[in-house]
Amino acid sequence: MKKSIRRSALVVCAAASALGLAAVPSSAVPSTVWTVSPSPAAFKAVNVGNIVLTATIPMTCTTSTAAGTMASTTGNPGDVADITTMNFGASGSPCTSVLGNVTTTSITPWDVIAVDYTASTGVTKGYVGNVKANVTAGACKFTVTGQASGTYTNSTGILAINSTAGELTVTNPVNCGAVVTTATKPTFKGNYAVTVASTGAIPTIVGSNP
Amino acid sequence: MKATPAAAPRPSRARARTTSIAAFVVLAALVPTTATASGTQEVEAELPYVCTLPSGQLPATVRVSADFPERAGAGEAFTPSDVTTTVELPAEAVADLTARDAAEVRAATRLTVGVAQNSATATATWRGESEPVALPGSGPLTLVARGEVPSVAGRSDGDLTFSAGALAIDLALGAAGPATTDPGSLTVDCALAEDAPGQGLLATVPVGTDEQAPSGSPSSPGPAESSGAPEGDGAPDAPGDRRPERQSERSPKVLENTPGAAADRDDVPPCRYDEQHPPTDVSLNAYITGYANVKKMKGAAYLPPSCVLIEQGLPVPGPPDPEYLIFDTVSYANFHYRERKQTPPFEATFLSFDFAPVKATMVLEQTGPMRIDSRMKIRLSDFTTITDTYVRAPLVLHVLDLEVNGTPLDVGSGCRTETSLTSADPDPANFPGDHLVLYGRGEQIVGLPATGYLLLSGGALSGEVTIPAFTGCGSDGEDLDRLLTASVSGPGNYIKQVQGQTCAIAAPVFPSPENEGQCTEDLQPYEIPVAER
Repeated sequence: MKKSIRRSALVVCAAASALGLAAVPSSAVPSTVWTVSPSPAAFKAVNVGNIVLTATIPMTCTTSTAAGTMASTTGNPGDVADITTMNFGASGSPCTSVLGNVTTTSITPWDVIAVDYTASTGVTKGYVGNVKANVTAGACKFTVTGQASGTYTNSTGILAINSTAGELTVTNPVNCGAVVTTATKPTFKGNYAVTVASTGAIPTIVGSNP
Repeated sequence: MKATPAAAPRPSRARARTTSIAAFVVLAALVPTTATASGTQEVEAELPYVCTLPSGQLPATVRVSADFPERAGAGEAFTPSDVTTTVELPAEAVADLTARDAAEVRAATRLTVGVAQNSATATATWRGESEPVALPGSGPLTLVARGEVPSVAGRSDGDLTFSAGALAIDLALGAAGPATTDPGSLTVDCALAEDAPGQGLLATVPVGTDEQAPSGSPSSPGPAESSGAPEGDGAPDAPGDRRPERQSERSPKVLENTPGAAADRDDVPPCRYDEQHPPTDVSLNAYITGYANVKKMKGAAYLPPSCVLIEQGLPVPGPPDPEYLIFDTVSYANFHYRERKQTPPFEATFLSFDFAPVKATMVLEQTGPMRIDSRMKIRLSDFTTITDTYVRAPLVLHVLDLEVNGTPLDVGSGCRTETSLTSADPDPANFPGDHLVLYGRGEQIVGLPATGYLLLSGGALSGEVTIPAFTGCGSDGEDLDRLLTASVSGPGNYIKQVQGQTCAIAAPVFPSPENEGQCTEDLQPYEIPVAER
């Protein structure tokens, strides 16, 4: 029951993102000054609901965690955080697919890049950049690189990653046959709850143009 | 006092073989026994335990209830009944489970019960299974497991005591919704707390009273025989109906290989590539274990964990389909035991023709490669994916040793089924010839974990097999072919095998906090699967 609800939430979230793409509120503006609170600070992130990675076939991770540092910055796009640890799956809860269990080893740092900010909602739009991860399922191995679009909401502390096809690419597929090739367009979708490592508080990101 | 069976006494040779079983206690697995004692004592013991969970050691309360006879005759087998093991795990343990994304849990318990009489001891495993229960939002988790337990017979006079020992709890985790799937399992080991009352004593059953005196006994046991000399499955008859009791005393030990518990690594044959079998970059290895029913014998043989070396195939596009994206993969595999393509030897004991205990030691030998066909179908409408896998294995059943009624029979070196075990193949045109077919399905709804059987991560495979006639059995002019064929061969034998997670030699995943282990450091399969019924 619990899972069904989570799944629905994921779908709703994806739908909302799609809506956001279709009609970007006029108040979402590119910002050049990014104020992160607290700054600088270490953060950690834990998945809320399952994470779905897709490389032709979907893969589900019931556990995923991230950690890194965040800091205020200037410029657009603005690099507001570095993800130095990015885990998919854990001992006892591997990521699964119909191919079999999938092991993902992230090559960090990944970056959290802020682009637009909507003051009325406190939502930052941007992407997770410098994504690189080695993926294995049995003898099948490949590397995923690129970026994944997402949003960060100050009121909830949710980093919602909802990559679109084409943002991530596959390189060096080995023993994956026709399932994963260099033409495969992987996706990365899921929500993470972000907290300040030292306090457990929800950090905020505010964009402005002084 | 005991009665000697009317049948001819077993040769001492047979007796010697049974010394590994405790001196005076028979742990019977399959044959129902009846306690003749008049009264019943209802026992309920509440015992403190310490359980090791992912978050650490936590106190737990275990209640064991069972009905025992008030007393029993020497040599009289009885079975504790209405056995219930109730485990109360604290809220911290629940948090450990919810952290694994579990919403409900089903438990299988394995309680080690020490059975003692005078100075002799034996150990029984009391297994229980619970119904699925939802994980509570707060407070402790109570698991109520019930199951049948082995029967016991006190060999001589004196109190027979039953004491609870180590408890293992296999937790199958799941979510409550019908569309959701199994997020994994967890085995929790629990030890009796040091301050447990009576050191875990559950019950005391006095054995040997005036009830015995089997006036109908055909012969009186000699002192040497009744003195407690090791004679495991040769426990004496109870008074009364001689024949059924004789069955029970030589009860099959089909289940004595402790199925239900993962075997220790020391107990399973090695499973690694070597110079004779060098790995390629698509090489995998895995253990497989399970049961094979023998319908005629009304019993099941336990196949201990066996090593399989697999060459993983590359998926190719399958037939075009408007609704599905399809990929087909063909992989090949071989059993691997001491450089032979066979299982390790396994033992099974059955009651042939309902009365004669037959103990056979067997191996399954390949007569050709095992072929594994997997078809992955991705439904384009919702990306639900299904993988159907057929394992086709030409396997003859080779009988190495045979004992009938406790008497070893020389089967010779070439005693085997005439052909491979055979199954009805779903695609006979493309897969002619005699072979066993096992089938498994894996499935994944987008956003949920994959469930079921998948070649890489394992799971349960099942099938139905016909056992062909036997040939080459017997020596010195004694033809045992017909005996075996009459008692074993035939159709409708259900097989269920559980494969563990594979280890990919060229891309090994070792256990770590981040990763579920797939390989040991020396590239053997990390997971030793547990047989399921």
